Amino acid sequence: MGGETGEFEEKAKKTFSDERKEDIWVLIISAVTVILGLTGIITRDTFTSLFF
Amino acid sequence: MSETSQGGFAKSIPGLILCVILGWLALQWNYSISGWQKDFKECQKILKTSAEGVGRTAPVEEAVPAGPVAEKPRAGESRVEEPLSPFDAYKAKHAEKYKEQLALYGQGELKKKPKKPHILKQDVYELLIATNEIPFKFKFGVKMIQFQLTYVAVLLLGGMLIRNTVGIPDIFKPGTVLARPIIKPGIVLLGGYYVWSNLFKVGLAALLLVIIFIFGTVVLVSVIGRKLKQDDGLIGVMAAGTGVCGVSAAVAVAPIVKAKPRDFFYAVGTLLLFGTVALFTFPYIGKALGMSEPVFGAWVGTSILNTAQLVAAASWYGHDSLLTANIINIVRVGFIPLVVLYCIWFYLVKGASAEGREEKMNTWQVIMDKFPLFILGFFAMVTLNEFGVFTKDHQYIFGKQFLKIFFAIGFAGVGLNIAFDDLKKAGGKAFVIGVFAASFKAILSAVIVMLLGTAVFQVH
Repeated sequence: MGGETGEFEEKAKKTFSDERKEDIWVLIISAVTVILGLTGIITRDTFTSLFF
Repeated sequence: MSETSQGGFAKSIPGLILCVILGWLALQWNYSISGWQKDFKECQKILKTSAEGVGRTAPVEEAVPAGPVAEKPRAGESRVEEPLSPFDAYKAKHAEKYKEQLALYGQGELKKKPKKPHILKQDVYELLIATNEIPFKFKFGVKMIQFQLTYVAVLLLGGMLIRNTVGIPDIFKPGTVLARPIIKPGIVLLGGYYVWSNLFKVGLAALLLVIIFIFGTVVLVSVIGRKLKQDDGLIGVMAAGTGVCGVSAAVAVAPIVKAKPRDFFYAVGTLLLFGTVALFTFPYIGKALGMSEPVFGAWVGTSILNTAQLVAAASWYGHDSLLTANIINIVRVGFIPLVVLYCIWFYLVKGASAEGREEKMNTWQVIMDKFPLFILGFFAMVTLNEFGVFTKDHQYIFGKQFLKIFFAIGFAGVGLNIAFDDLKKAGGKAFVIGVFAASFKAILSAVIVMLLGTAVFQVH
């Protein structure tokens, strides 16, 4: 049981470490989108141009 | 990036591509039904004008009494004026009305900038005038929107159906899991819609609700847990899971309260099961109870336990619902480090001192480790908006258009990962405690948010 619990604790720690990495990517993707919007590279028409 | 994580990412590419394709298909569907709904409304207007003009053959032509002409004759020319075709007259009428509204807006008589008029395509217009019958696909579009079968529902229901019938090949699985957090950049971008004052206004109500429900649920779960003679491990995990933020909080608290792995997996299964049922039923319950969008947002914000499911349910209901739910969710996930701190104090520090030992708690380290970083991005967006960095166009692009792209990819991942086999893992005493506490919280929060009303939760 002790080994199983230790493994489980490791898994919980890894989940949080993965979430932290994930959040950094989230911030990067959001920042890139905002920069593209502010510089006018993406406009209101960009989204509608993706569809028929 | 490490070699392993690079390899992990490469394995995720097929699944990510699948989610992007499914997301695009669903957004195309959304784009089509929204267009059909607009066409339907326009057709109704035209038919109404037609019905009012008894004995008139071309109602829209009549709506422009002077009869717009193709081109005014120049001085000295004796050309006969040719009246415009019905369709050109119809377009000219809308253009003229739009121009007038723009002028009024320019003079400050209209508060909102008028929207460009929605004009039917020529063939559709002519068919409508000839048959006096609204095309079937427009009626279909309206029905789909009435039944809330927008891109959110299509992705969640469709994904769940695929997963549990034909299944998804193993090659796609890692990518579909990785697609789920792509919802988060959408949450961050939505920050561009708020200013600090409305964030504080709704945030204060959200804060009170979150505190009441966190402590209420923790107390309730503890009482039921003790009655059922459960150990601290299970009670701690369920209290954190049902009180704060579902799986994330349960994961954070599990090692601290020394939950047994089996109890923990029962608890996570129960939380996922409740969230899935809530996701598919709450939008319809909200409509049946006549909840406004902000009230519904407040309800799901306090009662659905998983961020992805909460965002999906709120988006399903409407954009105003999403704006309110997002604030409550941000407040709630911000509480995770505090709940972890509480659990460390309650189960380790207090427990150890009762046994005559000494256990230290590194408060700052816990906050640093468990704080969800993406919230900072959200606050940065609110601040930029406060300083007037974003125009209305930017807000629309980020908060309504690109948000949908991120959400669509994420929802594809959520739908494809709803496996009935996982939900069957819900069981044991965790199921009884979790379902009772979460249902009780949902019912109570529905009553409270409805009593507080729309004004409290309206963002703008």
